[in-house]
Amino acid sequence: MFWRKQRAAIEGFHPLHQSLIWHRSFSVSMRPAEWDALIRGLARHESVVRRRRWRLPARTRTALVPLVRVLTEDMRPDGVLSVALDLRGPKFPEKTGPRHEMPVQRPVTSMKQWFVVDPWLRLRAELRDGSVLELAVTDRIRYRRIRKRNPRGKIKVKYKTKKVLRVDATRRLAKAAAVRRPASPPPGWIVVRVKDGPRPVIRATAKIPAAADERALVEPILTVSTELFRWTPPGTGAQRRTA
Amino acid sequence: MTRCTVTTGFFVLGRCGRPSVAACPQCARPVCDEHAAGPNGLCPECAAAQGYGSHDAHDPGWAGGYRRHFYQSTSSTYQDRAWYSSFDSYDRGSFERGGDHSFAEGDFDDDDTGFVDS
Repeated sequence: MFWRKQRAAIEGFHPLHQSLIWHRSFSVSMRPAEWDALIRGLARHESVVRRRRWRLPARTRTALVPLVRVLTEDMRPDGVLSVALDLRGPKFPEKTGPRHEMPVQRPVTSMKQWFVVDPWLRLRAELRDGSVLELAVTDRIRYRRIRKRNPRGKIKVKYKTKKVLRVDATRRLAKAAAVRRPASPPPGWIVVRVKDGPRPVIRATAKIPAAADERALVEPILTVSTELFRWTPPGTGAQRRTA
Repeated sequence: MTRCTVTTGFFVLGRCGRPSVAACPQCARPVCDEHAAGPNGLCPECAAAQGYGSHDAHDPGWAGGYRRHFYQSTSSTYQDRAWYSSFDSYDRGSFERGGDHSFAEGDFDDDDTGFVDS
């Protein structure tokens, strides 16, 4: 049997680490110390497992690990961080929408369009100031199948795709938390909604062109999340203290 | 008891608050055993400023080193100078006892601190 040493090493990994390798997804709620143990295990994956088929999905390194590191910094040791991760990719029937026929003009004889919506990351973190941060990151891919015929009757079929990343961030503040409108508005590509009440809620939504460089994936996600914290600038938020 | 005044957190900032065991040789702020573990005993902020910060997110100290760069870049994206300066003054506040951002409650409670939980 091939790869038996690497397979044996994988069997010793954290169950969620194994789930990432075999199923490319998991859904779990854990405390910061447990997340730290998982990430330490993920860090030594490449040194132990070299088989391409058993590599971790790239977004584990470029999105999940940095986001968990950032959010656990803002949590108390007994806070809970819940993550639903689905890195299987967009090619699944349940993620694919219906196909629509689009109006066309010669030489195009037909065009079909459909969307694939892949909500690959959802996070919920209980922060140490008593607020709760929810983050949803979705890939939205537009597919077009274009059929065209030239004057000599030759038929060509082309596929075109356009991918955007949608980031939805919501922060539910602690009771009676003070909210202050930031001095400057957010960039035009970030939409913000604030709901007043005993527990104010701030939502920021953005649609970002998919980055060619997946290594820079975490930056736009954190940039959208920043808007939620500009309403309670550093050092002004009340720290929740528990006995 | 002198407490560690290293800034913790990313968006929700706080102070470490553990008992300090040394002072940072660069900025002289009191640091605990965990935060004095940087190169040459530097605190995390000074270590990051000298380029010792980790670029690997798997490293537990990565977020602390990335934080100042992130506040700088988002301050530029949002064209909001107050965003970066509020972080900077919070971080510097640990050197000014009694100031607006001075050391108050830490991440680690201790009975003999005299701070009252709310």
